[in-house]
Amino acid sequence: MASYTIRKGLNIKLAGAPEAAITEAPEAATVAVLPAEFGPIKPRLDVQEGARVKRGQALFHDKKQPALRGVAPSAGVVKSIVYGPRRAIERIVIQIEGDEAESFPRLDPAAVKSMERRTLLELLQNTGLINLIRQRPFGRAANPEAAPKSLFVNGMATGPFQADINAIIKGRELAFQAGLDAMTRLTDGKVFLCLNGAVSNAAALAEAKNVEIHTFEGPHPSGNTSVHISRLDPMKPTDVIWTVKAVDLLQIGHLLLNGESPSHRVVALGGPAVKEGHRRYYRVRIGQSLASLVDGRLADGEVRVIRGDIFSGEKAGADDVVGLLDTSFTVLAEDRERHLLGWLMPGFSYFSVSRAFLSPWLGGLNKEWALGTNQHGELRPMVLTGLYDKYMPMNIMVDYLVRAVLANDTEEAIKLGILETLPEDYAVCAFACLSKMDLVGIIRKGLADIEKEGI
Amino acid sequence: MKKFLEKQMDKMRPLFLPGGKFERLYPLHEANETFLLTPAEVTHGPPHVRDQLDLKRTMIMVVLALIPATLFGIFNAGYQHNLNHGIANATFVQHMIQGALLCLPIIMTSYVVGGLWEVLFAIVRKHPINEGFLVSGLLFPLTLPPTIPLWQVAVGISFGIVIGKEIFGGTGFNVLNPALTSRAFLYFAYPAQISGDKVWASGPDGWTGATPLGLGMVAHQGETIIETLNNAGYTLKSMIIGLEPGSIGETSVIACAIGAAVLILSGVGSWRIMLSGVLGLIAGSYLMQLIGSPNLKPLVDLPFWYHMVIGSFAFGIVFMATDPVSAAATNAGKWIYGFLIGFLILVIRVANPAYPEAVMLAILFMNVMAPLVDHYVVQAHIKRRTRHVYA
Repeated sequence: MASYTIRKGLNIKLAGAPEAAITEAPEAATVAVLPAEFGPIKPRLDVQEGARVKRGQALFHDKKQPALRGVAPSAGVVKSIVYGPRRAIERIVIQIEGDEAESFPRLDPAAVKSMERRTLLELLQNTGLINLIRQRPFGRAANPEAAPKSLFVNGMATGPFQADINAIIKGRELAFQAGLDAMTRLTDGKVFLCLNGAVSNAAALAEAKNVEIHTFEGPHPSGNTSVHISRLDPMKPTDVIWTVKAVDLLQIGHLLLNGESPSHRVVALGGPAVKEGHRRYYRVRIGQSLASLVDGRLADGEVRVIRGDIFSGEKAGADDVVGLLDTSFTVLAEDRERHLLGWLMPGFSYFSVSRAFLSPWLGGLNKEWALGTNQHGELRPMVLTGLYDKYMPMNIMVDYLVRAVLANDTEEAIKLGILETLPEDYAVCAFACLSKMDLVGIIRKGLADIEKEGI
Repeated sequence: MKKFLEKQMDKMRPLFLPGGKFERLYPLHEANETFLLTPAEVTHGPPHVRDQLDLKRTMIMVVLALIPATLFGIFNAGYQHNLNHGIANATFVQHMIQGALLCLPIIMTSYVVGGLWEVLFAIVRKHPINEGFLVSGLLFPLTLPPTIPLWQVAVGISFGIVIGKEIFGGTGFNVLNPALTSRAFLYFAYPAQISGDKVWASGPDGWTGATPLGLGMVAHQGETIIETLNNAGYTLKSMIIGLEPGSIGETSVIACAIGAAVLILSGVGSWRIMLSGVLGLIAGSYLMQLIGSPNLKPLVDLPFWYHMVIGSFAFGIVFMATDPVSAAATNAGKWIYGFLIGFLILVIRVANPAYPEAVMLAILFMNVMAPLVDHYVVQAHIKRRTRHVYA
């Protein structure tokens, strides 16, 4: 075990932190599964409208990897199958009825440790839970054909507001350890569990067995897996590493110990635009509509619901569901307010890391801010240089990597280390970017181009 | 007030949007609107929140940093004028008024003519009007003597904006510092009005006043260079204060130091470039003294602190060398870039028999070299990081 202190980065004290208490979300009448959650797969239906399905029963499978299945998160009747453009299956809606569950092998904790890798992978594929394990480079669902050189479990949450494992793990310690044990079966290399060194972690985390535990301390993105990999087991462009969130191991552990596909998960709901008293953790049905979770809990006016945290999450749509991969939702006010002569004002009331405003001189960075979504400026060409370096705690020259991607120079981008990162790692740099460049989008495009071309 | 403006803007905007009457003038409307009110644009994707700082504010910080140099320059131009015309007992206000009469037309010409080019290119190329112009438009006049003919100001800024910047694609894409490009153009196209010892202050016909660097071109029998300067009225103190003939903005080291403080404290200007520039100058000074060839100009004997206050070194290293677009972009590159600017300034100053001052040319030369410096820094970075990865 080693401790790492990360200095570069930024902590934003965003108002509206979720309270670490778990509440049951309102019961939903339907759940939906979206094949798009699995990434670029070709889904083939296994059920028809009107069919009765058990929880854990396959709804569709992938054409290329038939073992990979999308399963019903709750038992019931297939109410509708919605097609999107070009007849792609957009969602499969299930009317919840009863709680009959497909049964999978039920293991005792000791048996998990000696599971066959192939059996385990097949089980994860059959239940769709393999989607929780992500593969580097590119951050896709793990491919069972790949041989990861190590596996990283992320037990940290430095971005506001990622779901904190410490708030969720209570009472599910066995499932967590079973999940960890399962991970050790997936790689010939080490399994690293990375924890926040600045908080006191639950015993199940701090004293987890059969894995190598390391702690990281420092501002966001010190909790991002890319940072952990860079310190513990740096990647070559041809390396494959699997990563998983510690909270997601609870789902996998649940499957292994109970022999049942999970029906619920815990998500954090926070942000300045969530009404006070409603900012907390909710136990939700996987696949229940997002609206059923947030309705009545949001501030008045135009708000933006983000799937995930403010740095890496995507804007949620009106008819989105709480998916298998979701761990938190953050709600911000859409801030379209305009300021008179903003470029001239001293800036006491502006949140900025730049000393060109007065607020950071007066301790503004340590205050709590109810930030909105205003971009505070318009897109401009890259002008000031060296700004990004302060927020990139890895050996990456962000300016030049971005330029390489913009110039479509994938070879140079690989040399500069793009494959060791994910778009989320550039979010803090983008936050501070005064030219308002879409660094996250640029890196995402760069990675997509490389993935398409092949390394 | 704000509500009223918002309403007016909402009313006007459709005229400039596609299909509107003044569709082609959209950049002009956009510049005007965002000057008055910060934009209402919200983030499009992650990160969903953004820092308050934008390019407008950044550029305004540079303009703020230039204000002491500008005000002092105006005062000094008036002071020199009154001195040379024998107007005794002129008050501070009279100096300022006289200085404003001399300098404001130059500054306004630069802004108006440069602004027209900027707008024209924005409309034709359909890009927003860039705030960088606010800085170039002020930097350029501050590098000019107060006696410069206005038509030359117009020609110079046109060259700098069009050839130095816009043909590359506008701010952010230029290789050379536009303000220095303008000045270099004038220097080579119309040397009579921007060199010699007649132009550096407004005086009656036939007035001459050599600058310290001009005095240092040739040796004076029997006296050290410091004595030569002192005899001409240039002491270390006077050159720091800056009540002397020279280009409008560069004479006062104090004003430049205030500007440097604003740039460094606000994080807009690179302290690395400024510091390494000074180090380069010091290194150059000792090296040239060590060489000590008789072919060198007497200026070589000056200690480095004189070189720091003489001429436009302070102005150049604080405001010109730190232009982030034309400077080196990597941190290591910035150290090399700044150091070589300081070093080259000194070498040209003491070794080039034709040019008394070297700041402009040294910076322009390093502007050209900056991408090369960065290239090697990035290659070294790649080598290091791949070694670390492939270990």
